[in-house]
Amino acid sequence: MKTLSRMKLTMPLILLLALPILARAQDARLQLSSLDHLAAKANQTVDVNVDERLMKAAAKLLSDKDADERDVKKLVEGLKGIYVRSFEFDNAGEYTTADMETIRTQVRGPGWTRLVNVISKKEGNVEVYLLFNGEQVGGLAVLYTEEKELTVVNIVGPVDLEKLAKLEGQLGVPELEIEKKKNNEK
Amino acid sequence: MKDDYLWDKTGQPDPEIQKLEEILGTLRYQPKPLQLPVSRRRNYFPLIAIAASLLLALVAGGIWLRARSQRIPQPRQAEVVLPSPTIDEAKPETIRDKSKNAIAVNRPHHRSVSSAFSRREREEALAAKEQLMIALRLTTEKLSLIHRKTQTTTPANQIKNQHRVG
Repeated sequence: MKTLSRMKLTMPLILLLALPILARAQDARLQLSSLDHLAAKANQTVDVNVDERLMKAAAKLLSDKDADERDVKKLVEGLKGIYVRSFEFDNAGEYTTADMETIRTQVRGPGWTRLVNVISKKEGNVEVYLLFNGEQVGGLAVLYTEEKELTVVNIVGPVDLEKLAKLEGQLGVPELEIEKKKNNEK
Repeated sequence: MKDDYLWDKTGQPDPEIQKLEEILGTLRYQPKPLQLPVSRRRNYFPLIAIAASLLLALVAGGIWLRARSQRIPQPRQAEVVLPSPTIDEAKPETIRDKSKNAIAVNRPHHRSVSSAFSRREREEALAAKEQLMIALRLTTEKLSLIHRKTQTTTPANQIKNQHRVG
């Protein structure tokens, strides 16, 4: 009897302690801190951390009159966070494959699916991963690697890919930017 | 009437005294060995277990929250220049980024929207907005690469390329 009553007391305790772990099981949030050491080597670093609270605050400042901002507002509605680590280096080989593996192992976890993998020797490689919670998209990860650049974008929450695709070219990022640069170099 | 019965229980007993004896006799001293009360210790285990569970849960929750907050650096740590204090004076501000394309521009907003915020909240929101825009620019920039790469395989581009060569 005593053992039974002790078990009755222990089980809720175990469940209580396991709650955070269970909650994180399907979390689209990637651990990007493993890349932080690259900031010392990089000549340019972009570190973006916008959690749900900041996202809501930022959304309030997005105008409905401006078309771009309206699209962004629609996109970020319901999102729980956007996190970016981007490093640009002076020389090639400043980051290792092990650095990327710390991220890739996370997006190989349950629920994650690789949507696109573009390999380009000239323009770099892009991998797009989606986390599905059932039929809903629960998160997005974009991994970009180039000789002198490493970028990881992690969007947490139900990302609407159509809306995201609509933003392409709208936010001051011309679609042919890289091509233009290359033409100039030539 | 002799009082011998009352004195040493001799002689004729008085019925009234006998009655009193019977009543009070129950309270007479009765020698018996000392019996200490059995110490019945109360079982505090359930209470201790509940208290320990709550304490552990609180400690675990605290550690988790702390670890979580450490994982999420404050936005000010990002390379963002905070906006100027007043809305009217707000000029386009830049974020130190790798390319001109990634420069975020703050546009002045209506006072009615911002009045709901405190100054600190507004600054935080503006910084968050800038970070958000940078993040989305970077994302769309990378996605546009995919878009270009997939477009290069379409027949339309093939025709275009043929035209260029010709």
